[in-house]
Amino acid sequence: MSGRITITPDPFTLIDYDVGEIAGIIEDAAALVGFPTDVEISLEVDEELFPPLTGHMADVVDGRAVLWISGANFEDTRRPRHFEPQQARTDLVEMLFRAKDRLSEDFADAPCDRELSRGERIAWDIYAIGRTERLGLPVRRPRERYDFRLQHGFTDVADAAFERCWDAERMTWAGIGEICKETGAANRGPSKVPVDLLRNK
Amino acid sequence: MKKMLQESELARDSRFVRSKIEDRIFDPRGPKIAQRNTGPAKMATDRPAAAERSRSLMHGIFVGEVQALEGAGRTCFDFDDTEAPFQLKLDMARQCWDEARHCEISLKLGDHMGTEIGEYTESTFLFAAACNPDPVLRLCGVNRALEGLAIDVFSTMKEFGNESGDPVLEFCEDWMLADEVTHVKMGSDWLRRLTEKDPERRERALEFQRTVDSIFNLGGFRGEDEENPIQLARRFRELAGFTDEENDSLAALARQSMEEARQMAEAASVALDAQSA
Repeated sequence: MSGRITITPDPFTLIDYDVGEIAGIIEDAAALVGFPTDVEISLEVDEELFPPLTGHMADVVDGRAVLWISGANFEDTRRPRHFEPQQARTDLVEMLFRAKDRLSEDFADAPCDRELSRGERIAWDIYAIGRTERLGLPVRRPRERYDFRLQHGFTDVADAAFERCWDAERMTWAGIGEICKETGAANRGPSKVPVDLLRNK
Repeated sequence: MKKMLQESELARDSRFVRSKIEDRIFDPRGPKIAQRNTGPAKMATDRPAAAERSRSLMHGIFVGEVQALEGAGRTCFDFDDTEAPFQLKLDMARQCWDEARHCEISLKLGDHMGTEIGEYTESTFLFAAACNPDPVLRLCGVNRALEGLAIDVFSTMKEFGNESGDPVLEFCEDWMLADEVTHVKMGSDWLRRLTEKDPERRERALEFQRTVDSIFNLGGFRGEDEENPIQLARRFRELAGFTDEENDSLAALARQSMEEARQMAEAASVALDAQSA
């Protein structure tokens, strides 16, 4: 494992995941995304969480990419507690795209993940997943569209906004805000449930 | 054709993966998660992992519909006319038609949510309840306990469709819910008719139903609190012929099952901590 990547826990004790294998995938994903080579990446995997309790977060703290993900994201849903490398690669590419966004001027004003509304978060995710697909990684558009609709509505306006997020080559934090205003997601009251609840042990 | 098919003999193509009960029981993460707050279990768009939870549940509903079709089909075939009257078999044949339609609807709802056949594992203990060699016990286990559970599940999903503004989910669940009310009613009617002169058999059948009900409470899966993902649908259960007393008794059973699961999780967590110390 290169010095710029740290993974916790090391080793995993509840699930059959290998730190070296995950570090290799991160290196690979970082190269695919064009993630700056001089930025440290730390990944925390919550090995207590199992499917369907998925979720991930990507922040930049003191110039380092600080990633958190539920162990459920990396799990083979057909084989409990076993690692699914292809799914891990896709999720890590998406997370690194968002961390890279945070390092750019385009997302300089974006609050940390725990302060994003669910509408903002999914719009940003779709922007990242669209780029992930264009890199040739397997993603499922209907699945992502459903996730988007749950927060932005089952409407033609929301579907058009989804397509724009997916196809965007470049988007800004202000653009995410515009999307949320357009679909009405910005008018939804604050969530009763904290968005980072799964992260809190 | 063979009569009384066991759950291990169900025909499935390579997409389906059977879940192993021991995987769930011996998963060391279970007791740890039971100690954590993972948000309200009741389906809502602002609970953590809402989309993934609904996809997983939808897949469970789909395989449940496949097994319900197989169960009703077996009841048409497994018994001769002295054990199960021809009219009962006609009702089961009609139910097969409904369940086949539910399979197709559930599959399309899976597409709508972005999931695929076999994405999650299949548990077959629903079909296990349809293997009872006594047709009255089988009807009680399937048409009253499991189809009763289906009322609760569809009512919960319908509410989630309404809350999330998803008209496809809301309408589909409403249509399936209407069928389930009929299936429960058929079970109740046949229980009464077939055990009219045999109160002892009726009591055995009701006891079997309580056993199936308690299995499907699954340590808090169903109940009347925010902590229960599936809500007890009292109004629809009344329409299906369940009495207030039966609904109260089921709610009490669900609370007891949740408390037992909580105590087991606490004990397992203490044991795991002691092991790792």
